[in-house]
Amino acid sequence: MYQPMLALHWKQVRFGLIPFVVAAFALPLLAVQGLGSSIAMMDADAYRRALTFNQGLLVFFPALAASIGCVLALSSWNWDHQQKHVYALSLPIARWRYAALKMGAGAVIALVPTIAFGIGCLAATASVELPAGLHAYPVQLTVRFFLATLMAYSILFALAAGTMRTTIGVFTAAFLLLLLSGPLNHFLVQMDPMREHVHVVEWVATRIVESPGPLQIFVGNWSLIDV
Amino acid sequence: MNSAIEITDLNWKAGKSFALKDVSLRVPVGSIYGFLGPNGSGKTSTIRTFMGMTKPNSGRISVLGMSVPDELPRILGRVGYVPERPHVYPALTVGEQVKYHASFFKLWDPGWANELMDRLDVDPDRKIARMSKGETGKLLLLLALSQRPDLLVLDEPTDGLDPVVRRDVLTAVLDYVGETGATVFISSHLVHELERICDWVGVMDHGELVAEMPMHRFKNGIKKIRLEDAPEAAAEAPFRILSRSRTNGRVASETWIVRGWEDPMRMYFNGVGATVRDVVDLDLEEGFVELLRASRPSNPQGR
Repeated sequence: MYQPMLALHWKQVRFGLIPFVVAAFALPLLAVQGLGSSIAMMDADAYRRALTFNQGLLVFFPALAASIGCVLALSSWNWDHQQKHVYALSLPIARWRYAALKMGAGAVIALVPTIAFGIGCLAATASVELPAGLHAYPVQLTVRFFLATLMAYSILFALAAGTMRTTIGVFTAAFLLLLLSGPLNHFLVQMDPMREHVHVVEWVATRIVESPGPLQIFVGNWSLIDV
Repeated sequence: MNSAIEITDLNWKAGKSFALKDVSLRVPVGSIYGFLGPNGSGKTSTIRTFMGMTKPNSGRISVLGMSVPDELPRILGRVGYVPERPHVYPALTVGEQVKYHASFFKLWDPGWANELMDRLDVDPDRKIARMSKGETGKLLLLLALSQRPDLLVLDEPTDGLDPVVRRDVLTAVLDYVGETGATVFISSHLVHELERICDWVGVMDHGELVAEMPMHRFKNGIKKIRLEDAPEAAAEAPFRILSRSRTNGRVASETWIVRGWEDPMRMYFNGVGATVRDVVDLDLEEGFVELLRASRPSNPQGR
């Protein structure tokens, strides 16, 4: 059951995935572009300064992982949504199991851009000679890339698997939180003037983005070369 | 188990515009049950509900003796389903789609699938995205039959197909039924198509089941009667009057469409001073149209 589902998902997404695979391979190479091997003569500080320009590209690593997760999640359900899930619902399989198989298929396909990214990282680090005190982290960055892709994929897969009503519900809740955070904050301060100023949206965002929040992986250290 | 499908007091509401209202139907095991109704009458909604795709607001459903939705995966493993709109994946070839589908069905018969591929002239290497409507229709039937189902649910399976493909599809269904004794539930608005193959008929209109009976009773029970000196009121009539209309401008000459007619009922007209000029059989399509007319609220004779 799993293998045909994997083959189906692969056939559905393979052409859409090509630009992302190319980007996953090329981005690490671009990140070390211009550094060359002569830079090995510099000391660590000078090297880091030289890296500054290239560090700007690092922001694209998590963005790329998130985009790949998004493409995989949407392609998982796209045709099913268009057909109102009639085919899936006519199959003799429990719904949770069908969703789990689909999820597993997408997770395995996420390995394709990850491998491209890993090769890109290895090629990039092989192309430069590092000065003492700096290290390359191609494997660690590749694992981070894979986990970030899986995180984005999982969140969007769950959203895409739901009905339109569920999706609207999630976004309405987020919108209401934004809308009501001001009055709520005001109310909390009124109730306890000694209270530390706490902004609700900020509080929620911090819990999501900072460790051990689920999106922490996107804002952590994405350096290919570091101390 | 006497019924392949048994639905009791099914109610389901879709928004404000459409609802299934107190639908109760029974499909005998081994029958070919024609599910008739105009577009938008609730045929597909009823099918999707007993297939467990939508959750009813109330009512009980049992398919192949098992309860929906409690035993749905077991039920679906024994049901071959051809939906109203093709749902197969356009990214796959026929062979890949067959392999994908087969992986879900324990009773899948690969030899039978290959035989059907030959018989229905379906090319396994053909990409689904490039297939015509007729080819897709044949593929859907192939998928439904190859799992060796006890119940075949066909939702407008021949809609939009050319006569040759339509004949191929119906022949394949009838051959399968002849060989296995499976039950078939077939929905259509093409009345004449069902007339030839069905032994039971259910008629939907505006979300309600307005009639359910054996086909022979449906065909024989609806008559057009030409009368002279027809009575003004007919409350005591032993049959149901679906419609009555004056003919040729003659005051007392009328045509009645009646349901539940049997020949001894002529005596009723003698009793009320009317003369029966002739009694004409209606074909299924005419009977279907008259039945729908009578069941609609605007018809004073209806219900």
